[in-house]
Amino acid sequence: MTIEQTSILILDDEPIVSKRLKPSLEKKGYEVETFTRSSEALQRVTERQFNIVITDLKMEGMDGMQFLTEVKELNPDTEVIVMTGFATMATAKESYNKGVFDFLAKPFKLGEIFEVIAKAEKKIKRLER
Amino acid sequence: MALIKVNLLRGTEEQMRNFLQQFAKRFVRKEKSSIAFKVLFADFKKSLELNNQILDIIGDANDKLSGDYIFDEHYIHTTCEQLTGLLRELIVTINHLTSQKYPGLFNSFHRIEEDLTLILQGKVLSQDIPLTLPYSEITRDHIDAVGGKNCHIAEIGSYLGLRIPRGFAITTSAFELYWKAGGLGEPVARIKEQWLGEKLSLSEASLKIQELIFKTPVPDILEKAILAAVTEVVGKDGPCEPCFAVRSSALGEDGVTSFAGQYQSCLSISPDQISGAYKQVVASLYSQQAMEYRLKKDFRPEEIMMAVACQLMIPAKVSGVMYTYDPLRPEDETILISSAWGLGEPVVSGAVPTDHFVLERKPPHKVIEMQIVCKDESMVITEHGGPTSAPVREEQRMEPSLKARQLHDMAEIGILLERYFRAPQDVEFAIDQAGQIVLLQSRQLQLYYDRPPRASDLSGLDGRYPVLLRGKGVAAMEGVASGPIWILEAGKDLADFPMGAVLVARYASPQLAKVIHKAAGFITDIGSTTGHLATVAREFRVPALFNTGDATTILNDGCEITMDIECLTIYEGQVSELGHYSLQEEVIEDMFEYRQLRRILRKIEPLNLVDPESDNFSPEHCKTYHDLTRFIHEKAVEAIIDIGFYHAHHRDTQAGKLLWEYPLDLVIIDVGGGVEGEHTKGVLAEEINSVPMQELLRGMSWPGVWDMTPSRVDVNSFMSSLTRTVPIQNSSPQDVGRNLAVISSEYTNINFRLGYHFTVIDAYISENILDNHLYFRFSGGVTDTVRRSRRIKLLGVILSYYDFLCETHGDTMVARLKRMDRKSMLKRLFLLGLLVAFTRQLDVKMINDARIDQYFKEIQTIMEESNDD
Repeated sequence: MTIEQTSILILDDEPIVSKRLKPSLEKKGYEVETFTRSSEALQRVTERQFNIVITDLKMEGMDGMQFLTEVKELNPDTEVIVMTGFATMATAKESYNKGVFDFLAKPFKLGEIFEVIAKAEKKIKRLER
Repeated sequence: MALIKVNLLRGTEEQMRNFLQQFAKRFVRKEKSSIAFKVLFADFKKSLELNNQILDIIGDANDKLSGDYIFDEHYIHTTCEQLTGLLRELIVTINHLTSQKYPGLFNSFHRIEEDLTLILQGKVLSQDIPLTLPYSEITRDHIDAVGGKNCHIAEIGSYLGLRIPRGFAITTSAFELYWKAGGLGEPVARIKEQWLGEKLSLSEASLKIQELIFKTPVPDILEKAILAAVTEVVGKDGPCEPCFAVRSSALGEDGVTSFAGQYQSCLSISPDQISGAYKQVVASLYSQQAMEYRLKKDFRPEEIMMAVACQLMIPAKVSGVMYTYDPLRPEDETILISSAWGLGEPVVSGAVPTDHFVLERKPPHKVIEMQIVCKDESMVITEHGGPTSAPVREEQRMEPSLKARQLHDMAEIGILLERYFRAPQDVEFAIDQAGQIVLLQSRQLQLYYDRPPRASDLSGLDGRYPVLLRGKGVAAMEGVASGPIWILEAGKDLADFPMGAVLVARYASPQLAKVIHKAAGFITDIGSTTGHLATVAREFRVPALFNTGDATTILNDGCEITMDIECLTIYEGQVSELGHYSLQEEVIEDMFEYRQLRRILRKIEPLNLVDPESDNFSPEHCKTYHDLTRFIHEKAVEAIIDIGFYHAHHRDTQAGKLLWEYPLDLVIIDVGGGVEGEHTKGVLAEEINSVPMQELLRGMSWPGVWDMTPSRVDVNSFMSSLTRTVPIQNSSPQDVGRNLAVISSEYTNINFRLGYHFTVIDAYISENILDNHLYFRFSGGVTDTVRRSRRIKLLGVILSYYDFLCETHGDTMVARLKRMDRKSMLKRLFLLGLLVAFTRQLDVKMINDARIDQYFKEIQTIMEESNDD
């Protein structure tokens, strides 16, 4: 394979989210790392850069908003996708203000997140060129 | 998503309120006495709205089980809250509408709500379940009470129709009793805490808990229940010294690889030894592997329960074990069977040498390897029932213990079990004295790949396999499946559907569910993921792709394909890379959230109150939210019709019988601008000003609509079968049937009710597209189910063609349409008029599937003709 894999980090404190997403995304050819604790995920983003970060908002410990703020500060090129079960206009707005690429309200279909990821990927490729 | 949905629902409620306010305005000038009717009518409308919302949410929740969604516990909680809220409102509404006629609804509602709360807290409910349950009474819904192994073996008997031993389950109710009576909860929790806090090693914790269990006696009441179950199962014709196999059947055990073989099984147990064996099996719940495994799978403390299987041992001629894949070389695509003479115990434990057979997985399952060993000894059951070791007769020692026919049958059974349980299977079986195959156990088989399949194997699949279809359709059930295409088309009979094929059909008709055990997968041109077939596909975990638009024209009959639903892709050929990759994937349906959602839905979704005429159609018999909804809907319609009937002559709610050239026995209640002028003797069709009603009548009276059926039926006799003519003035509303239309200038709610046949049309047509809606519900019938299902299918075909969102639940078809412009809405109301007239007689005529197309075409022709006008 000559094309470089797009790397994705997933953070959600409910294990089922990563368990469902990881194999599906790997099957589509992405490189995926998953976390259920924000502290560990944050540690990981300081070690390496991911093309895309997918995070929940409401979590124990450091919440998603704080996490994505840090991610964006560390690597402004990383595209962040937010998924949350507590979708309100206010949180959506705040996320966009922080430079979030897109916002998914749980529950969502696999196809929806595939689409969003593909769009984010396109944007990344465009910027690289 | 959940929150957004609520907002949407609120939106429609608001529209509703505006709409009702408009009504109210029109009545301002009228007398006080009539307000009651308007208020009650508002209640009625509200109950319909709530009804629709509730059913939508239930359908959506089931759809989440397809594996196509990312959802979490929060979703389950909010869904329950939403439903509970709507249900409460619905019960208040019906009681308001009927002057508190159904207070009993609150009791049933609270019962269900309490159960839901417990389930949401993680509790597994086993109340109301007896201490023991015979296999003949176990259904799929009992899985939490009897555990996976019991449930699966019972399902193999009842759903798959294969032979199983007689037996019974010692349920989780018994476990709870044992646990409570022995006071085990607290000390076990303490030991576990010490383990998790790393104060005790896993082996120490396991040993301590098991010791506690061995010391705890089985309560008398349980011992008695077990002996009673033994007597029942053995029966009069059983052995005088029955001999049982006592096996574990823990919650979540059978669906999952790593549990296999971790729990204890005790064989050749006499009835008085069962309670001792019970303790041994229960103790194995705390084996090291089991404890570790549950931690990994996120089992909640409330879920750790052990049911136990007690099976009457089969005096087997031959016993054996089958693996539906070679666990060490899955790539070989073979089935392994080993067997020997006599009882299974030494065969399973490896104490005696066994014959070994290797068969091809693909039909006709050629035997590709056979090793026959010398079998000197076998274990047999003596005349008294106990097991004993006996020498094998000289001439049998080198004889293969399974015949070619039996090997072939086993292979077919293996594939069937694998498809049913959606995983490779490790099957224990026996051949009884009559030469029949009896299945003793089937559980998931762990595969060990030399080089485990990796996601990267899947890149470049497109280059290796032609893509027949991609990016089309919706996932009704996720998964990967391979098999030859079998297209359901005119002249083909579902009864001929071959085992293991992929069923391709134009519509996701509920009748396709008949082949659920045979089908590797489903693909349809049209179909909804909240429909009946989708629900069944999820229940049986059969991959299903609906709404592809044109699969029936793109795919070729007999062509071998592989479907990867997650990627909405259908490849030509058998894509073994995908097959193997999906085999070693963790089964997502075994996760806690799925288990919980299934438990929740068991209290919400099943419909037990089907027949309004039966005795159990009462508030007390409502066991689920769906039951409550259904009951209330029925009563709301009944109430509004009663009210309409008795208030028929209020000046502001004009009512009267429709005077029409067709003897349609319909009472019309006008609640605002629906009828021109004042009427005391009835309403002429020309005097109706209600736009939806006019269009319906136009459809119902369209020339020639009656003559379309092959045998001519004259108008009068047809219409009298459609309605019953009873003089209104001297009969109660029940006698009249419930043919009633509530109309206004823009609104029509019409109910046709005859015996078991019931049609509801609810329509609002205005210039505002957003407010426009059509609801059509059709149910019941008097002919056999096949014809009725053809009729429903025809309705589905027609209504889907005209853009309705159709849902079928058994005999009931619900079709909805929203937000179309006035002209399009009217065209479809005309269609409903045609269908109302047309379908009544239709179930009698639906003698074959070809009729569906025929009638569909005829309806299309009329629709085109009528449009030219």
